[in-house]
Amino acid sequence: MNLLIYTMYGCPFCLHAKAFLQERDIPFQEIVVTPGSEEWGRMREKTGSGSLPQIFIGEENVGGYAHLVHLEATGALYEKLGQTWRKSDTPLYDAIILGAGPAGLSAAIYTIRKLMKTLIISKDVGGQVTWTNDVDNYLGFSQVNAAELVAKFESHVKTFGVERVIGKNVGAIDLAGRIKRVTLEDGKTYYGKTVVIATGGSHRPLNVPGEKELLAKGVSYCSTCDAPLFDDADVAVVGGGNSALEAVLDLVNIARRIYLISLTPLTGDSFYQEKVRHSGKVEIFTECRPTRILGDNMVQGIEYQSLKTGEIHTIDVEGVFVEIGLLPNSSIFIDTLATNRKGEILVDKECRTGMAGVFACGDVTDVPYKQVVVAVGEGAKAALSAYEYLLNQK
Amino acid sequence: MEKKVKIYTTSGCHYCQQAKEFLTEKGVEFESCDVGADKAAFQEMKKISGGARSVPVISIGDWVIVGFEREEIEKALK
Ligand SMILES: Cc1cc2nc3c(=O)[nH]c(=O)nc-3n(C[C@H](O)[C@H](O)[C@H](O)COP(=O)(O)OP(=O)(O)OC[C@H]3O[C@@H](n4cnc5c(N)ncnc54)[C@H](O)[C@@H]3O)c2cc1C
Repeated sequence: MNLLIYTMYGCPFCLHAKAFLQERDIPFQEIVVTPGSEEWGRMREKTGSGSLPQIFIGEENVGGYAHLVHLEATGALYEKLGQTWRKSDTPLYDAIILGAGPAGLSAAIYTIRKLMKTLIISKDVGGQVTWTNDVDNYLGFSQVNAAELVAKFESHVKTFGVERVIGKNVGAIDLAGRIKRVTLEDGKTYYGKTVVIATGGSHRPLNVPGEKELLAKGVSYCSTCDAPLFDDADVAVVGGGNSALEAVLDLVNIARRIYLISLTPLTGDSFYQEKVRHSGKVEIFTECRPTRILGDNMVQGIEYQSLKTGEIHTIDVEGVFVEIGLLPNSSIFIDTLATNRKGEILVDKECRTGMAGVFACGDVTDVPYKQVVVAVGEGAKAALSAYEYLLNQK
Repeated sequence: MEKKVKIYTTSGCHYCQQAKEFLTEKGVEFESCDVGADKAAFQEMKKISGGARSVPVISIGDWVIVGFEREEIEKALK
């Protein structure tokens, strides 16, 4: 069966549709129209629509780009083309969950329990929980080893059996149509009726000269990993919240002297502040802004400016641990979903993003109080909302 | 010939753990050492990596990879 596509110059979805066909070696005939032209009139007559592209398989108008994606995902495309030997090799999932931190894993429990065909795609399992030694304030445990908690989450999800793609980065995403398309950086594509975004956050960099250059040469974002490499050394920790205070405590029995540099007065829990102050090893500089990390091939010092006096100081250190909060992992969604100034995806109380069939949960959203227990609760809500959405679609 | 693989880790480093699991899944035999406890191994790690002060460091034959970079590891193993 022949495929005919009506396109127009400067129409992005026409380009998407053509690329889609070319990628799959599906031959097509193209008619380029301009609004008001004769061909355009004929197209309107046949389709009753003026929007572009318009795609015909034989005499049948199958719609635009989103419909094409939908047809492939359901397997109907190759049937219509008469290429039944070419069954679409990618199944259609009810839910694709992006991210396997607490939010994504919790969402998976709920989608699977609702018998939704589920796929989890994530760079790693556990997310930020793996950056710390112990998790506090998770109900049922006064304190729990982080690796153990992640193992428990993982085995809970595994008892239901779920398809997973771990170790891969999502590179691009197409959320607008009824069928959503998720493409990995290696080019592999998956299709879902709903998408649950649970991509969490990454370390926020200081963005000062020397930081990138000296990464892994004294600059670190993981105190539980790298603290043991600073035995008897002088080090700086940048930040004033819980993460920074925890980094200080990771270092306190190892390093010689610790300088804590914070833009604001310390904001972390007073419980941690007490511990840090009583260690006798820590010098605290508040209302100071790091301006540069010094050193050629190794960190040799840090330069900072006092916000009160404007004076610039340097301290000799061999290590700089940066703990200044999170950057939401939302860059691939920023063009299609609404975000706030921090880049967090805006969600309503049912974890809806404003795009039909697309839900978000956990640290990547604007929901306040970034904690495991919150992420887990939000994950459950997002999954149940996705379920509800599918019910209403039928 | 199989390339010799060695991974330098610390006990609190989850990326090191993940890297080890990754190697095991690939059926790669490797030697692992805790540079937080073993000073000589820490010196060796710094020497081969051009002064890295971050874990994991993974040496595969003549390659040295700082951080858990799956693709780099796969390339080096080939
Ligand atoms: C040092 C530290 C200590 C903490 N201590 C505590 C504590 O004691 N108690 C507590 O309750 N909370 C604590 N938190 C906060 C808690 O860890 C987070 O709130 C929680 O992990 C958020 O879960 P999440 O699933 O939303 O995101 P994350 O945990 O960030 O998980 C996101 C997942 O998405 C994946 N991902 C991201 N982008 C992509 C992409 N493009 N493609 C594929 N996969 C992707 C990541 O690999 C990761 O697996 C701590 C955080 C830190 C950093």
